[in-house]
Amino acid sequence: MLWLALILPELPLQVFIRGLPAPGLLAITEKTPRARIIAATPGARKQGIQPGQGVASALAMLPTLRLVARTPEREIAMLKELAAWAGAFASRVCLDPPDCILLEVSASLRLFGGLDALESAVQDGLQQQGVDVCSASAPTPLAARWFARHAQHGPQPLVTPTPDWQSHLDALPLTLLADDSAISTASFDLLSGLGLRTLGEVRALPASGLARRQAQAVSETLARAYGETHDLRPEYTPPEHYTAELSLPAASINTEPLMFAARRLFAGLTSWLTARHAGIDHCRLSLVHERGEDTTLDILTGTPSRDEARLNLLARERLAVLELPSAVEGIKLSAHAPRALAARSNDLFGDPATERENALLLLDRLRARLGENCVRQLSTFPDRRPECAWRSTSLRTSVSTSSHLTVRELGIPPAPLRPLWLLPRPRRIDAPRKLRLLRGPERIEHGWWDGHDIRRDYYTASTADEALWWVFRELDPPHDWYLQGYFG
Amino acid sequence: MPTHTALATLPAGLVWQGRQLAHQNGPVLPTGHAALDAELPGGGWPGAAMTELLADQTGVGELSLLMPLLRRSGPTRWQVWIAPPQIPYAPALHAAGVNLGSLLLLTPATPAEAVWATRQALDSASCHAVLAWLPQIDSAGLRRLQLAAEQGSTPLFLFRTLATARQPSPAPLRLALSARQGALRIDLLKRKGPLAHAPIVLPLCGDRP
Repeated sequence: MLWLALILPELPLQVFIRGLPAPGLLAITEKTPRARIIAATPGARKQGIQPGQGVASALAMLPTLRLVARTPEREIAMLKELAAWAGAFASRVCLDPPDCILLEVSASLRLFGGLDALESAVQDGLQQQGVDVCSASAPTPLAARWFARHAQHGPQPLVTPTPDWQSHLDALPLTLLADDSAISTASFDLLSGLGLRTLGEVRALPASGLARRQAQAVSETLARAYGETHDLRPEYTPPEHYTAELSLPAASINTEPLMFAARRLFAGLTSWLTARHAGIDHCRLSLVHERGEDTTLDILTGTPSRDEARLNLLARERLAVLELPSAVEGIKLSAHAPRALAARSNDLFGDPATERENALLLLDRLRARLGENCVRQLSTFPDRRPECAWRSTSLRTSVSTSSHLTVRELGIPPAPLRPLWLLPRPRRIDAPRKLRLLRGPERIEHGWWDGHDIRRDYYTASTADEALWWVFRELDPPHDWYLQGYFG
Repeated sequence: MPTHTALATLPAGLVWQGRQLAHQNGPVLPTGHAALDAELPGGGWPGAAMTELLADQTGVGELSLLMPLLRRSGPTRWQVWIAPPQIPYAPALHAAGVNLGSLLLLTPATPAEAVWATRQALDSASCHAVLAWLPQIDSAGLRRLQLAAEQGSTPLFLFRTLATARQPSPAPLRLALSARQGALRIDLLKRKGPLAHAPIVLPLCGDRP
């Protein structure tokens, strides 16, 4: 087992600002019990706003600061959205609220080319969605979370799972125990009152003594962290329907910032689809207005797809021509009914399956845009009349490729020279004098039984500028000459 | 050491000499006509670029020129014909050895849709060859098609009239086609390499007597 813990330290803030290219001066407040700043944008921090500061003093320092109250339900929703996204990287995903996602990655290491590559892929992906992350890995979920939490506060390098990972765990400070809700404040005060500073020192205490002092939870938690007992966690199953929401702290009347926000959501959607090995042919982008109905945009891809670039492109096209009735303060993305879509393999020499899929995709796209009748296939047909000797079929009907066998079976000798171009209908020409007849005549008398009988003498003729024509002369009066094809 | 032997010892591509044909970047598809292969950079059609075939008439042998290439089309890749001026005659194609099952004939209603379809066919990278008759395409459209042919690594054969020979074009290879005494005369208007002085005359078989 190898767990990768992702701690999202800026989650309360990034719930609000990840849809914005330039977040401006914004701080998140929480009543604990006095209103305090718990997070601030980089711009605000540069002006001296610190997490932990009181609201009054922050406003005194920076009167233009915008304050937004923390919304735990949005944080949970975003944590779930990111957990669904992280399903593309791990076989098991567990939520560890308020700000942690745990991934069991031992089965994914080979696919991603090792732990380092996997970790940086996760970090890059989260960065694209506008989320900061601290990550660490360890053989137990709790230890991974503690390492990540420790990395969040200190500049220490991340501990990779080495055989002596437990000794690294021993060195972690005692304060991490306060991070765990299972441990009461009284137990934590007891331990720090004893003068203990690291987890190793706590572990060295006799368990019976701790139990007698109502600190049984401490030894149980440590046992889980060190892998001495099982740490059973409910697995997070992504929902069947994908919904993601993003709020814009400053309402926008332009569509350009919306596109930026939509890109964040599409990154999450495609990853959710990758985790499910599925594609969608339809998703809905809703623009939430301050008042009035949401504006909804249905994005149709034609064929099931999970191509992020394609979705972005389609959304951009839709947003570009949109007239907004009023300012938008949030956007939602929802997708239903994902359909199974096999993964593309990254074969060096090209994959025949991908090629076939591409060929069918091209056909679908052409038929969707041009119409069934404009995409056709040709086949031969055993008939002596030149205009009846071919068929053009739309692809719905199956094409018989064995028609040349039928010709042989019918005992008709193989067709003599035929032109590559045929005119839709023969064109009458008045001046056969200008033509030089090179070959012929080939007499075709056929079709007296179905009313379309022909009696013609065919010639290959050369024109004055030396193009080759296929012409015929009616055997019946008035013996007109016609052009029927070109030798291309 | 004489200059020309000194040059010969250098690795290919370091020094370009004026009388040499350029090395074709990307794949090259033999044309099936030895006389033509000898005059083309890399010895064949550029496999990932646009080739312009300029002719004023139908029936000079423009299809027969491509027949050896079209004959090699496999069953999993399309050969797409977009907006041909007449009906490609199935019995003649079959007799010439073209696999009709892989031939896709598109007859878009408008020139804009024909250009769109050409781009789609090139982008999908699932075509053996794309043949397009786009008389009204502008230079921006040509550039886009050339780019799409490069990215999709698909040869595009674009048929236009001789009058367009004077317009600039991003195609690395432009041939003017005309008939001459039952054979096909090819003037190399543009290629990666020195100017061609003499036209190539190909006696074509295919559907021609």
